[in-house]
Amino acid sequence: MANQALARLETALRARKLDGTLTTALPSLERRDPYALIPTDVAVLDACLRGGLPRGQLSEIVGPRSSGCTTLVRRTIAAATRRGEIAAMVDTFDQLDVASAADAGIDLDRLLWIRGGPASGGSDSTINRALKALNLVLQAGGFGCVVLDLADAPVSALKRIPFTTWLRVQRVIEGSDTACVLVAPQPVARSAGGLTLLLSACARWSGDADRNRHLTGADVNVRVVSPRRRVDGELSLCVGH
Amino acid sequence: MFACVFAAAGSRPDVLVAVARDFSPRVEVCAAREVTLDLAGLNRLFGDAKTIAGELRRTAADRGLRVRIAIAATRTAARLLTRARAGITIVHPGDEAEAVADLPLELLEIFREPKKPEPSEPSEPIAPTEPIPTLRRWGLRTLGELAALPPDALAARLGQGGVDWQRLARGDDAAPLVPSLPEERFEQALDLEWPIEGLEPLSFVLARLLEPLSAHLERRDRGAAVLHIRLHLVNKETHERSLQLPAPMRDARTLRTLALLDLESHPPPAAIDRVVVAVDPTPGRVMQFSLLTRPLPSVEHLSTLIARLSALMGEERVGSPVIVDSWQPGAFEMKGFNPRAGIAEPGSDGMPTPNPESRIPTVAVRRFRCPVPARVHVDRGIPVRITIDRRGFAGGRVEKYAGPWRASGGWWTDDAKTSWERDEWDVALSDGATYRVYRERDTDAWFIEGVVD
Repeated sequence: MANQALARLETALRARKLDGTLTTALPSLERRDPYALIPTDVAVLDACLRGGLPRGQLSEIVGPRSSGCTTLVRRTIAAATRRGEIAAMVDTFDQLDVASAADAGIDLDRLLWIRGGPASGGSDSTINRALKALNLVLQAGGFGCVVLDLADAPVSALKRIPFTTWLRVQRVIEGSDTACVLVAPQPVARSAGGLTLLLSACARWSGDADRNRHLTGADVNVRVVSPRRRVDGELSLCVGH
Repeated sequence: MFACVFAAAGSRPDVLVAVARDFSPRVEVCAAREVTLDLAGLNRLFGDAKTIAGELRRTAADRGLRVRIAIAATRTAARLLTRARAGITIVHPGDEAEAVADLPLELLEIFREPKKPEPSEPSEPIAPTEPIPTLRRWGLRTLGELAALPPDALAARLGQGGVDWQRLARGDDAAPLVPSLPEERFEQALDLEWPIEGLEPLSFVLARLLEPLSAHLERRDRGAAVLHIRLHLVNKETHERSLQLPAPMRDARTLRTLALLDLESHPPPAAIDRVVVAVDPTPGRVMQFSLLTRPLPSVEHLSTLIARLSALMGEERVGSPVIVDSWQPGAFEMKGFNPRAGIAEPGSDGMPTPNPESRIPTVAVRRFRCPVPARVHVDRGIPVRITIDRRGFAGGRVEKYAGPWRASGGWWTDDAKTSWERDEWDVALSDGATYRVYRERDTDAWFIEGVVD
């Protein structure tokens, strides 16, 4: 009975061309074409992801503050700009540090930086404006990597974003060469075709004495969740020196 | 055959050019009152050279011009003769050197006169040197005497310039006739029967004006460098907007979208009576695509995208970041997004060079553009607890710290915004986050500058 209901549901979804949301019925989306992926430029992570983040899909890099999300995203953008692609960053709360972006190796000439900022309607209005900007960039096409930075968005505001927003984003980039990356404190899009990287980190310090101590980086733990690409796993990597 | 028409002083150059264009499409403006015409094929219409010259003179007289006319097989001979002889002069082909032989040497100065300035062509003298005083010292008085000198000896003494002057003295042309194109105006206007308000009806008007303008640009292989929109309003005012386009473009849809997006941000204050659209033309773009690199979006696409994003976020909030030459924390500038084609070479054009010895990413900072005020409990000069009143910041006990690093700068300016003097710390709080905080030394106030992420 349950199987029949499930089959009817899947048929209805296919009829409405919403079958991209099905995680079980369709064959694996694992693609062997290296150009179908954008590497994060972190060797161990790329090995785990079998090449990188998928193009034409919405992926998420998720974690609390100081979990290494920003480092990983900038590394991914840097790799894209070095390949000659152009990248866009919808910086919802205008938090890009230009100096550390250049240190990460981003070719700033190839980065379209869309700076959000405080809006009159509070964080909801700011996020809505950023989503509109993201939609414009994705519809224009031609970008190798498009990042929506919601890392500092309140969780309550993220929960208020209708889930159809992410479905619409997914439909816009489906079949394109653009990899859309969402940075958030917790998973919100849960795209079936994309990847979710759950990050947590512990700061690493050098020097035992208080006077000669330095922040040298962080030990980042990455958990990969992929509904359809079967690259799930967990790994640790070092950030910094 | 060529005709040279030289008008008397006080004549209007545009009338002279109009007279010449009535006879031949190939007209070169040589000086303010002098034009040369290519007469090829005109004898079937008018008759022989004398008849053509007579017609030219009569037409010019009808328009109030007193002219001298010379017809010769070379333009140089025709020009020299108009300067020396009044009325009509006809030189049979092959007799040019003989016809100009008795003209004074100083007439060669006309080839040093600047041509009528062309928009894209700087005027240049034909010969680079000034040998006429030298030739005068040699005892030469006429062009025939210069033409009779042995070219080798002349070249040995005056170089290539001397040989060029000698060719001119024989009546030979140094360059072919370059027709001067009439100055074209790329402008369309429409008087509206009823005043319109709002951008939606205006978009139809703009489409109607921009499509023929775009076709005109395409026919001339030109692109628009600047788009001017002039709206005459019902209150007798004029609302003008000028859009600097990032690259020459002539796609009517793109131009209309850009104009509308700009007018959306700067709407006219009253209803519109008359719409005028004009462009500053520039040579069209030549694109060479590569098989080896990923193509970038077209300039039209990018311009439209940037205009839409600017309308949404604000003009100064969309573009590419630029690092400025300053130690001021967080200093940057914005510039227009204009990516280069091809693969970026690390180390070139300011492109940062990644550390080749390590594939380990360096730690990034997420910077608060307006630093967040914090209350910091300090024990023996060391921060031990941080309390942040802003929502979304937990604060807590300082688990580990590094610092302080003293930084100061801009003290040589009086502007408080560009000067800084502070102690910076990296602190790991009990909430798990690592922050970069600083204390302003003059006010003793603490701020969160960013998150190490």
